[in-house]
Amino acid sequence: MVLKPLFMKPRTLYSSNPFFSRQPKQISISLVRLPYTCTEEIQILVQTHLSRLLEDNRFVVTAEVGPPHGADEQLLIDRVLHVKDYCDALNLTDNVRGIPTMSSMVCSHFVRDCGIEPVMQMSARDRNRILFESELYGAYALGIRNVCFMTGDHSLLGSHPEAKMVYDLDSIQALQLASHLMSGNDLAGDTLEGTPHFYLGATFNPYADPIELQSWRVNKKHKAGARFFQTQAIYGVSRFERFMNRLDVDAIKTLAGIIPLKGPRMARFMNRKIPGIKIPETMIRRLVDAGDGLSGNEKRGVVRSEGIRIALETIEKVRAIDGVDGIHIMGVGWEESIPTLVKEAGLYPRPKKGE
Amino acid sequence: MARLNVSTSFVLCIQGHLFSIRLFMEIILGLGRMIVMELKSKEDILEMLEGYEKIVLFGDSGCAQMCDVGGILQLEDMTDFLADHGKDVLGYVFVEGGLCDEFATKQELEKHKNMLEEADAFLVQACGVATQNLTEMVPEKISLPAVDSDFLGTMPERFHHDERCSMCGECVLDLTGGICPITRCAKGLLNGPCGGSMDGMCERDEDTECAWQLIYDRLREIDKLDNIKRIWEMKDWSKKHGPKTIVHEAKDALFQ
Repeated sequence: MVLKPLFMKPRTLYSSNPFFSRQPKQISISLVRLPYTCTEEIQILVQTHLSRLLEDNRFVVTAEVGPPHGADEQLLIDRVLHVKDYCDALNLTDNVRGIPTMSSMVCSHFVRDCGIEPVMQMSARDRNRILFESELYGAYALGIRNVCFMTGDHSLLGSHPEAKMVYDLDSIQALQLASHLMSGNDLAGDTLEGTPHFYLGATFNPYADPIELQSWRVNKKHKAGARFFQTQAIYGVSRFERFMNRLDVDAIKTLAGIIPLKGPRMARFMNRKIPGIKIPETMIRRLVDAGDGLSGNEKRGVVRSEGIRIALETIEKVRAIDGVDGIHIMGVGWEESIPTLVKEAGLYPRPKKGE
Repeated sequence: MARLNVSTSFVLCIQGHLFSIRLFMEIILGLGRMIVMELKSKEDILEMLEGYEKIVLFGDSGCAQMCDVGGILQLEDMTDFLADHGKDVLGYVFVEGGLCDEFATKQELEKHKNMLEEADAFLVQACGVATQNLTEMVPEKISLPAVDSDFLGTMPERFHHDERCSMCGECVLDLTGGICPITRCAKGLLNGPCGGSMDGMCERDEDTECAWQLIYDRLREIDKLDNIKRIWEMKDWSKKHGPKTIVHEAKDALFQ
């Protein structure tokens, strides 16, 4: 009877499962419930230059500089000094496309020293909840008050595709976490030695699908504590308008994203490589036509002016959309365009702090 | 146990046949769900076999066969390949079911006792569970992996596999219309999709569908969109932390 135990196999396999043999016990709860403070009740105890301007319904200009791809902070300071008079707050990107650059927290600290208010970006790709908490304490201690949360690009799109991505939290849960910390406790419920307070922001992409679910996500982010929103770069305005119509624009502050195009090559690269960007072919055509028959520096100048003109037209159009409270200009390696755009859009000078 | 008589044996015998038929049907009709794996490169396999001359191969009729890495055909191919490179392949052990099934494997080990005793090393053409199982069962021999285990997935057709489960320890498929966001969203988001979802596709590459678009479409179909209108709280990843052991309580309720 060598085979006898083998015959027993299916019998024990099935019948040993407690599911069939006992009173059903509670097998699973859905997702964990941690001791959250209801984020809608969170009082924003902190006021920043950015929050004040937005609350006063001033048309706000924020800009973005890319942290250096290395350890030279002077590079960052040069970029910041170039644009600081032309915006109300400055975003520091957080390892966009998974290409390592100087920490957004450290850069925010330098930006603050330059006399302009930083908006520290934090992506969910590279940190778990432990690091989120730790960095938020540190950021508050450094005087950083505006924090903007994002999902973060997939690392396969960048220079370090071999990296292990984290995504312990998504951007919405990260906002919940930041809101919760403002209650004076960490996620474990332990009392904090010093409570941080932030003006929280998030992003949305009006071109992402499905549009209904994307608009719900904006609601979720607002519920989780986001007060201001910066969008992905806007090119086709009608889809953006359609998206804005789905939002409760009175509850949130929205800054429309602007990326001026250097030329058709940059536009095509962005369509291909930057997630969530949709530059219409007609716009690319305009850039191509502008440089037609020209060469060298002359061509470069003309094409770039056309890029600026397109961006100015976009600014004009988004200003007319209900619920747009400002613009967010992303230089993406062309920070020099920011002063030009702000001046020519009639948005210069910017209000002084405390004005 | 005393009642386990001829008729029970007969029933289980039939069950065994049905099992083989099912496997056959799965291969033909593409109904497989399995640990998906790929053979390592020839160079890697030869390198890890360096210093070992007498080799015994292992395969099974489960995942290994369905992934075309450890079925009879691949065991024979491997025999030829290793022989061409000067190895002495003593033969192979093929387990009906899976090498993960310790009991079935022990039966086969018993049958091939003499051959196994002669071997320098075992080359396991099945998942990492199989290699570790053999290491534990036959510690006096070296068991080496001939494959890389990739994921838990389906087989819509032969040679084609899609990842479906991350074994996170807390299934949410009831809320997502049967589509797993942790596995099928490239970022594993619980409040997806991110801003990179366009025209139903994922930002990662043009061949990957956006799982959250699929979830949205499915939930709309079954009128359960409310499931994803609310915020999903942070996930308890401690349920995924290994190493894990589960011991089911043995009771015989099903057959009583």
